[in-house]
Amino acid sequence: MRTTAPAGGVPRRAERRRRPSTAQLAAALGTGALLLGGLGAGSATAARAAHASRGATVTFAEPPDATPNAIFPIATAGNTAAYNSAIQAELYVPLTFYDATSGKLAFDQRASVAKSIVYSDGDKTVTVTLEKLKWSDGTPVTSRDVQFFFNLVKANKDKWANYVAGQFPDNVATFTIVNPSTFRLRLTTSVNPLWFSGNELSLVTPLPQQAWDVESASGKVGNYDLTTSGAKAVFDYLNGQDNHLATFGTNKLWKVTDGPFTLGSWTTGGAVTLEKSSTYDGPDAAHLSSVQLLPFTSADAEFNVLRSGGLDYGYVPTSDLSQSKFLESKGYTIKPWNGWAINYSPYNFNNPVLGSTLKQLYVRQALQMAIDQPAISKAVWQGEAAPVYGPVPQSPPSPYLSATQKANPYPFNPSKAKRLLESHGWKIGTNGLMTCKSAGTGASQCGAGVKAGTVLDLHMLSESGSTQTTNQMEVMQSELASIGVGFQASYAPLNTVLSETAQCKPTQASCSWQMSFFGTQGSWYFSPSPNGDPLFASTGSANFGSYDSPVADKLAVAATTSSNPAALRAWSAYLAVQLPAMWLPLPAYQVSAIKDNLKGVSQDPLAGQTIQRWYLANG
Amino acid sequence: MSTATDSVYRRFLRHRLGVAGLAVIVLLFAFCFLGPVFYHTNQVETNILAANLAPGVQGHPLGTTDVGFDELGRLMVGGRSSLEIGLAAGLLATGIGTIWGAVAGYAGGWLDAVMMRIVDTGIAIPALFLLLVAGTIVRPTVGVLIVVIGVVSWLVPARLVRAESLTLANREYVLTMKALGGGSTRAIGRHIVPNAIGTVVVNATFQVADAILLVAYVSFLGLGVPFPGTDWGGMLSNGISYTYDGYWWMIVPPGVAIILVVFAFNVIGDALRDAFELRLEGR
Repeated sequence: MRTTAPAGGVPRRAERRRRPSTAQLAAALGTGALLLGGLGAGSATAARAAHASRGATVTFAEPPDATPNAIFPIATAGNTAAYNSAIQAELYVPLTFYDATSGKLAFDQRASVAKSIVYSDGDKTVTVTLEKLKWSDGTPVTSRDVQFFFNLVKANKDKWANYVAGQFPDNVATFTIVNPSTFRLRLTTSVNPLWFSGNELSLVTPLPQQAWDVESASGKVGNYDLTTSGAKAVFDYLNGQDNHLATFGTNKLWKVTDGPFTLGSWTTGGAVTLEKSSTYDGPDAAHLSSVQLLPFTSADAEFNVLRSGGLDYGYVPTSDLSQSKFLESKGYTIKPWNGWAINYSPYNFNNPVLGSTLKQLYVRQALQMAIDQPAISKAVWQGEAAPVYGPVPQSPPSPYLSATQKANPYPFNPSKAKRLLESHGWKIGTNGLMTCKSAGTGASQCGAGVKAGTVLDLHMLSESGSTQTTNQMEVMQSELASIGVGFQASYAPLNTVLSETAQCKPTQASCSWQMSFFGTQGSWYFSPSPNGDPLFASTGSANFGSYDSPVADKLAVAATTSSNPAALRAWSAYLAVQLPAMWLPLPAYQVSAIKDNLKGVSQDPLAGQTIQRWYLANG
Repeated sequence: MSTATDSVYRRFLRHRLGVAGLAVIVLLFAFCFLGPVFYHTNQVETNILAANLAPGVQGHPLGTTDVGFDELGRLMVGGRSSLEIGLAAGLLATGIGTIWGAVAGYAGGWLDAVMMRIVDTGIAIPALFLLLVAGTIVRPTVGVLIVVIGVVSWLVPARLVRAESLTLANREYVLTMKALGGGSTRAIGRHIVPNAIGTVVVNATFQVADAILLVAYVSFLGLGVPFPGTDWGGMLSNGISYTYDGYWWMIVPPGVAIILVVFAFNVIGDALRDAFELRLEGR
């Protein structure tokens, strides 16, 4: 038997925007310090509180053209952006929370409901003891609340955005309530404790069973979740309420919280006000009386407000980095927020027009070789982005990064890319675009399923609001045109892009998307163990493009059971070569501008925010 | 008729501001359509390693854009789109409005009432709103922008021509033609529209100016000509992102170009109006 604090960084799987990384993270990852977690930040709490301005309000800028749209902690497709989970974590304390606030990526017990996690029986049994917390209605947070979450997810896993077949909750054979503050999970197989605590338990959020176990607005609270049909009805009701943004601020359901903040207001436009909870009695109480999260339609709009001093915590678009000195003279600290993340654009392998074409590895290789990531990073992102060559975060260095990925298997080489297409039966047609002239499965033919006359003309649905993203798309269009590939980008707000980038079957109307980009701040922020199983596993909930590789599946599963980083390196190497998506430069989560008197801010590599620790220094 | 036309022409030439406006338009057309023949730039492939260069650097007289296009060449390409869309959409709007207004004014009665209530309703809806809605439904291209802008801009000319038509429909030569068995189509086509031509021509110039401004508006809001094409409004919108960086060459040239062309079309309109008014007074 051994005890771990849930290790690693919480890979809130479906949250595509998360957390930045630091040099300490590298050390933590390299030495295994993750397993023990650091709670150093806690010691300073009392001192900070003593210096905090009482009754203070802080304003925070949301990402451009991206607004929070979900409060229910069981994320469904389209509701998976990181800012949703950041807000939810302030209202509903997650079972385990990971961040780098202590200086290394570790279990942050103060921000978690779990007090201890014990692995036994050859890592097949997990016993979790809970911290003493209570809901805002005075009821204690108990094991039953965790079981409520478990039952809802188990009965509705097909709707849960974090679901990966074979993993949580499939890998939990039994859920046993030992007592109100302890529960036990018997697993179907031995697991890597680091992975299970960091990547699986971190997805769990105890929910107020005594208030939310209802099937309709007029229904009475019961124990409906104990049956599958009941759990489905409860989930449908709660998820339905989650679709009514305009009622979030008044709906009595969302008033029952156990976090350091409660919800003050939430507009359909995305403006959210968090207010300090008067009932929170845990170890991580909020210092500020309220925090306003403000939406902006573009980075330029945000910067205009920031420049006028209208924000306590905003960001500087990379096109305006020359203004850093000016902002510093106005009392801001400029600080990049880098993430434990990757950036990519998924291909839709089920697209009825180009799905078969995109399934050809040589096509993906050609497309990847046509993109000059170093130049885009330097010129478009003005050095605030770094090339990505595979599925594992490349910075800071970690034992999970394979030599293959690190070496970049497909450096920028447009002439080679063009030759590769031509050697497989493609020729420039009269429209100036590569056209399949030799259909078939031979070595010099277009490949299985690619019909003669197919034109390599791609459409990208990209998030709007960022000049840099628009410029990147324009550069990509130009670079792909140089090898005869058509590329047209259209733009929409982030939530629209996320909801339209859905897994689909070729016959479905929703399968018309071909490529999508939601990475202005990075596409995916990982957990401590970056195996990315939801992204590229054939059954992964976030495998948007329906990539299907038994080898990749096997390697991902191996990483969940083995504690040896070599398992993840093998996965990294395989997918770096196989290109399940187009790898694209990873920008900083944001280049933050933080008012000098706003303290307690930790720009966590996992994109968590722990807003409760922010405070305004007096004077 | 030819004497009348000559008279209008002479009076127009006496209007110095109008002539200056015409000269500006001719120069802008030459710049946009003939310029690329003499000044060769690549306006299709980006060159990000030469992005944001200041004027005069590396042989770029007006510098480069944020993805490395030569700004002077970009101004020519963008102007071509703006002028094409503005001119075509302005003429389309004038055409639709002229026919609509002439029919309504000549027909009178319930048909006039219905047609003009439609116009009143259309005018009550801001054109920009309609353009933004249309822009989210259809993918903007030069052709689409011409049609969309033309379709939302014909309401004002319809009102003006209808007022002319009401008067002309009761003129003796029209009444005589009707008494001799002439049909409505002949009356409108041979008498109403030709005699309202002064109003139509003057309004057409304003319509073109308005259409160019509308293109700039929608492009500024991100619904303009798709990349690698551009127009002056789109260039201005792009340049605004770099206001604080001091990249004035991305803002001033397209801004000045828009001001120049709109101003020029407006003074031409003024000059034409004066010329036509004098002709009428002469009668």
